[in-house]
Amino acid sequence: MTVPANPGGAVSLAPEDTAGAAPDEHTKDSVGIRALIFTRDRGLIVLWVVLLIVFSVWASPFFAKWSNAVLIANAGALTAVYAAGVAAGAISGALDISLPGVAALAGVTCGWLLTHHVSVVVGIVVALAIGLAVGVANGLITLRGFNPLIVTIGTLSATSGLAAVVAGGYTITGLNQLTFMGTRHYAGIPAPVWIVIVLYIVLTLFLTQTRDGIRFMAVGGNKEAVRRSGIQSDRYRVLGFMISGFCAALGGLITTAVDTSANPAADPSIIFTALTAVALAGVALTGGRGSLPRVLVGALILATISNALTIKGIQPYWGTIVTGLLLLAALGMEKGVETSVERRLMAAAQATVHSGKK
Amino acid sequence: MTDAAPALELSGIDMHYGYVRALDQIDFRVANGEVVALLGDNGAGKSTLLKVMSGAHRPTTGTIKVHGREMEFHSPTDSTHAGIQMVYQDLALVEAQDIATNLMLGREILRKPPLGWLGFVDKKAQRKRSQAELDRLGVRTAAMTRPVEMLSGGQRQVVALARSATRVSGEHNGVLLLDEPTAALGYEQTKQVEALIVRMASHGIGCVLVTHNLPLAMAVSTRIVVLNRGRKYADVPTDQTDNDQLVGWITGARPSMFAA
Repeated sequence: MTVPANPGGAVSLAPEDTAGAAPDEHTKDSVGIRALIFTRDRGLIVLWVVLLIVFSVWASPFFAKWSNAVLIANAGALTAVYAAGVAAGAISGALDISLPGVAALAGVTCGWLLTHHVSVVVGIVVALAIGLAVGVANGLITLRGFNPLIVTIGTLSATSGLAAVVAGGYTITGLNQLTFMGTRHYAGIPAPVWIVIVLYIVLTLFLTQTRDGIRFMAVGGNKEAVRRSGIQSDRYRVLGFMISGFCAALGGLITTAVDTSANPAADPSIIFTALTAVALAGVALTGGRGSLPRVLVGALILATISNALTIKGIQPYWGTIVTGLLLLAALGMEKGVETSVERRLMAAAQATVHSGKK
Repeated sequence: MTDAAPALELSGIDMHYGYVRALDQIDFRVANGEVVALLGDNGAGKSTLLKVMSGAHRPTTGTIKVHGREMEFHSPTDSTHAGIQMVYQDLALVEAQDIATNLMLGREILRKPPLGWLGFVDKKAQRKRSQAELDRLGVRTAAMTRPVEMLSGGQRQVVALARSATRVSGEHNGVLLLDEPTAALGYEQTKQVEALIVRMASHGIGCVLVTHNLPLAMAVSTRIVVLNRGRKYADVPTDQTDNDQLVGWITGARPSMFAA
């Protein structure tokens, strides 16, 4: 009824928000402020819906179809997995650049194990463990006081080199054992989309509903506040890198599964696409705020745009141009909304103090 | 153990930085329900003394007793465990999180099992508890779901104070160390914070207030201690002194009460 429970939490349910707000009349914000806050928190979803409607008309009759929706979701799935990793890092206050390297290393390691007659389960577990391990390494090095950006550039280099060593410099082919998480459909929906759904539900619940998740976000927002609450903040910073390493490894596995081959070359475009989705979602790179459902929408927007342009037979360069402009526009809008929300709320708070109403 | 002993008592505190005596034989105590204002010019040793109390600095010599029991603080964590909380000027609130989350950080209420086993937080109970704690202190800020970044400066200060207050009111009421709590506030907000400090003291919390603001000290404190170049110049009940006397001690124009 007043402000949303938390700017990041798209999952919080509206009715329960009334509990704390009921006794305070002056906290009931005006329609204007509520509209502004809505734009800030849900604007991206509105933008996506608008895009969907526009494309449905523009690229009709091929765009607005279930089969095309599945196509978009599948195309956005990989971006979404990496974006979740980048977002987790960003929320904890660190930009993790090492994702492409970790993805390549995880994919290639799993591929190498599978060609050496190791079971699929072990291959996947080892690959994901590599992601977590690189995350721990990134985290522990960063805790020593080094800039996370530089540290992860270092691990990016190291892991992509390692990937090439493991694969002997060549792409490992014929990995048909992983199709169950690559090209196979379940209930009409491709496996990568299912993975994204599960990943996002788990991470969203973690960040918004659990003690460790809330502390994790708090550490990103203000380390000092958390430390003074008697909580060890260091492990939460390492956790951010672990989540992002895990997501990178998962992305590498999905790529390997879809291609049925593992390419040791790290693909740097991974990080930029993911970062675009994260930035569209308004996740602050300074840490402490961000909502995973919005990151998912960000990834879907990118997939939606490139899908519509493909249907219309427009050259893909235009997709990149549109995405870039969209990102800049989103930044501008966010800034504008944020400042006007704050100004109006401040004014309201001052007014109640000075008029003596309690 | 009786609660007749002061909540916090420092005796014979010396603090040397090389040849510089930052603190020279300071005795200081604060009882439950007392607000002691610590006044002094820049460099008089107020902040150093506060840091000794908060465990950030270890004194060269001297003893610290909490509720009559001698303690040694090796870090701010030790003093926090002993029930002494520092309220910093920079507040240290998590901007993007709401009031309830900020107040309950570090002592979250979990849901009932099985979700509780997974660490799920009972947000409704947290809001209720926060509201109750603020009500007990007589504080109205804003809805518990309001993110801190959307609060005014005064409201933030109130939230930060309330958070510290709720942390020290354990089995023994603890001590709050306040460093210029109203430095960044306007007139009305300063009044709110003053009222809150008085109310916290009436709940049995001991408060140590470091400030340059003489009217603030006169308004909220029950006793005033003046430091001058590392020595204690005065220790008087607030109602037995006035601005002129205090200014004299602060500037050193008036001889120390404890002149040997």
